[in-house]
Amino acid sequence: MADGPGFRTAIYCAGCRHACKGCHNPQSWSFEAGRWMDVEDLLEVIKADDLSDVTFSGGDPFYQVEAFTELARRIKAETRKTIWCWTGFTLEEIQASEELSQMLPYLDVLVDGPFILEQRDTDLLFRGSPNQRIIYLHGKPPEDIIPGTVALEPLR
Amino acid sequence: MVKRVLKRDGRRVDFNNQKIVAAILKAMDVTENGEDIVLAAQIAHAISQLDKEEMTVEEIQDVVENHLMNSPRQEVAKEYIRYRNKRNIARKAKSNEIFETIIQAQANDITRENANMNADTPAGMMMKFASEATKSYVDECLLSDPVREAVAGNYIHIHDKDYYPTKSLTCIQHPLDIILEHGLRAGHGESRPAKRIETASVLACISMETVQNEMHGGQAIPAFDFYLAPYVRKTYEEEVDKVSEIANVDYSELKKAKIDDYLKHDLVGLQGKERAQQHAINQTVGRVHQAMEAFVHNMNTIHSRGGNQVVFSSINYGTDTSAEGRCIIREILNTTYEGVGNGSTAIFPIQIWKKKRGVSYLPEDPNYDLYKFACKVSARRFFPNFLNLDATYNQDPEWKADDPKRYIHEVATMGCRTRVYDNRFGPKTSIGRGNLSFTTINIVKLAIECMGISDKEQRIGKFFERLDWALEISARQLDERFQFQKTALKKQFPLLMNGLWLGSGKLDPDDTIESVINQGTLAIGFIGLAECLIALIGKHHGESEEAQELGLRIVAFMRDKINGFSEKYQHNYSCFATPAEGLAGKFTKRDKKTFGVLPGITDKDYYTNSSHVPVYYHCTPEHKAAIEGPYHQYEGAGHIFYVEIDGDATHNPEAIMRIVDLMDKYNIGYGSVNHNRNRCLDCGYENAEKDLTECPHCHGHHIDTLQRITGYLVGTTDRWNAGKLAELKDRVVHK
Repeated sequence: MADGPGFRTAIYCAGCRHACKGCHNPQSWSFEAGRWMDVEDLLEVIKADDLSDVTFSGGDPFYQVEAFTELARRIKAETRKTIWCWTGFTLEEIQASEELSQMLPYLDVLVDGPFILEQRDTDLLFRGSPNQRIIYLHGKPPEDIIPGTVALEPLR
Repeated sequence: MVKRVLKRDGRRVDFNNQKIVAAILKAMDVTENGEDIVLAAQIAHAISQLDKEEMTVEEIQDVVENHLMNSPRQEVAKEYIRYRNKRNIARKAKSNEIFETIIQAQANDITRENANMNADTPAGMMMKFASEATKSYVDECLLSDPVREAVAGNYIHIHDKDYYPTKSLTCIQHPLDIILEHGLRAGHGESRPAKRIETASVLACISMETVQNEMHGGQAIPAFDFYLAPYVRKTYEEEVDKVSEIANVDYSELKKAKIDDYLKHDLVGLQGKERAQQHAINQTVGRVHQAMEAFVHNMNTIHSRGGNQVVFSSINYGTDTSAEGRCIIREILNTTYEGVGNGSTAIFPIQIWKKKRGVSYLPEDPNYDLYKFACKVSARRFFPNFLNLDATYNQDPEWKADDPKRYIHEVATMGCRTRVYDNRFGPKTSIGRGNLSFTTINIVKLAIECMGISDKEQRIGKFFERLDWALEISARQLDERFQFQKTALKKQFPLLMNGLWLGSGKLDPDDTIESVINQGTLAIGFIGLAECLIALIGKHHGESEEAQELGLRIVAFMRDKINGFSEKYQHNYSCFATPAEGLAGKFTKRDKKTFGVLPGITDKDYYTNSSHVPVYYHCTPEHKAAIEGPYHQYEGAGHIFYVEIDGDATHNPEAIMRIVDLMDKYNIGYGSVNHNRNRCLDCGYENAEKDLTECPHCHGHHIDTLQRITGYLVGTTDRWNAGKLAELKDRVVHK
């Protein structure tokens, strides 16, 4: 439910050096955790679930940027699924790096920035602290206003 | 010569001298002079020679007392009387104990049998007293011997047994058009046909509230949108007349105008006729909204059944694509999203979205916008649930998109899951029909009793043999109850049988209801398929393909057998995925006592709901759908698919839409999404955190956490019984 809108096949990768205090998944910091999976195998799992979109999380997928870029490229080429990616880097940091930014063209949404425990807010949409941002990389989808219906409780 | 004795429980047994002798000797034992076996035998013999065929126990005891009083052993008479009184008191003590727990408003499984009922109020207590008293009357006087033994043996459960003597039926889908077009007569009042939305909505409430008192189950409206739509139009026409009057211009032609959608718009810039029409529309939308608010408010506050419970009400909607029907749907959803009073989630009515391809589901469908909104509302308010009109068994070839009364052919459900659709004795429809009575089989116990057989095939074979027996006895019991119910007179159900129940309009007040109640259904349910499978082959259907195959074989067998009963007894029998709120713990408690704690079977305080995957089993929503979906086709009397989701559902209404997609994909009939919703009663703050005790905003401690129990919502778990509470604790999230 917290991995993005709808149902999502979430790929949690191993390895992260951001070491945010209060991380919800510290067992994934080690690059030795988890097990190796081929892009091909992941793609098969993703395609088998026709109702789910895709989420990259971890760990931080940007520490394995080449493999995830390849996976993302294949997903966009072969399916109509959206990809949301969570990272401890900020968008600006990613854009400044030629290596990291190679994944951006294939992602729909980037949720960026480290988690800051002191600012923790459980009411936030898909994020842990307000410094983190939900960034639509290729234009925000049109706002879903249904005529005649009451205003919904705004999400933050 | 006395030949028979009529016992207190109504049974007749052969007269036996020795029993009288034994009782007298017992009384003599405690006196100084001890036993006098000759005297005892003389008295017994004298009674046997009385000129009577049959005597009651009490009569015999009276005669014994007289004989003793007139004998030299008067002190024995005193002991005999003392002993007799003690026995009488002991006999009553058990029911007195039950009465005392009711008086003291103790929370136990007697007072918490039904989470919607407040058994602590005077009216609630009164009803509990009556209910406990009638149950033993039914056992002793109305059930046949084999049935009584099957109940006593914990093999079957007769639902609403306390209502058995009243001959009441379970539930009905209201043909509300009859009430709205002809008015109704209830209590000391009469009302005329509705002319505007406010009256229509109030009549809908009164209809459900009144009939609730004439039945023992829930009340539903099968096509809320279709029924109320004409009164949106009438309200609009009324508003046109008002504008004409105020402006002193004749706008009456506007009354004929076609309206694409009833949407409020600012009047700025509009002139003349256009301005008048938009004003009339704005006023209409406002009034419809208020009428829907009043409807929801009434359904949560008006108490029925002696004032101890609100109506178990449900409304089905979503398929009316007319502008007026859409206005009803939109405003009931708006109201529901906003909540009642200070924004609390409405517990009633249970709302059900009728999902149909081409109408109310796909992006190109006319009601897709409202479907999307319905999912958003459900994410916050748990309702609407979703009814899948596209499931193969929920379709009717008679349904035509251009038929203004097409809702007659659309399946509708009671919120709890009870479903009535197919019909051997009249039109295939849900409307004007309902269930007559339910009986549930404890298939877990049947399976446990076969566990000793080491050969698997033989074990399963024996189980089917036992299941066959339990089905036969259930069918017989339901027929016996039917034969009793049919003797009721029309006048015992003043509103229900005055045209609401299919065919009842033509009956005279003193006619019995025999000729019309075959429109209803008799349901044979089951509970604990998961535990049953564990007992038979060690695994449940969520975790093993073999178990799934056997599970489907079991339920298909039940369905086929039940279809056979329809032929044999000539009723609408159907197979039911029992919700069993009060039953969840009852069967288990008794079986645990008999068989001890069997791992995976009796090691919890409840049996798993019907054919569900156990609540403690971790799996994805899709796996759950794939496993549970295939059972729905067999469970014609009703079924429900639940998914538990974590986190704040309002953040992810798309997940609700995906769950409806799963229903569409796996031919699932009816389903809903369970999630957590806390509300701070002090400041109104809401979130979805688990076990929240303090409001993160105002730090208040009055937190109301909503949960769903067998289809109904309850605000607090105070009224849940032990079995259901244990089940709630074990529920895991599906991800």
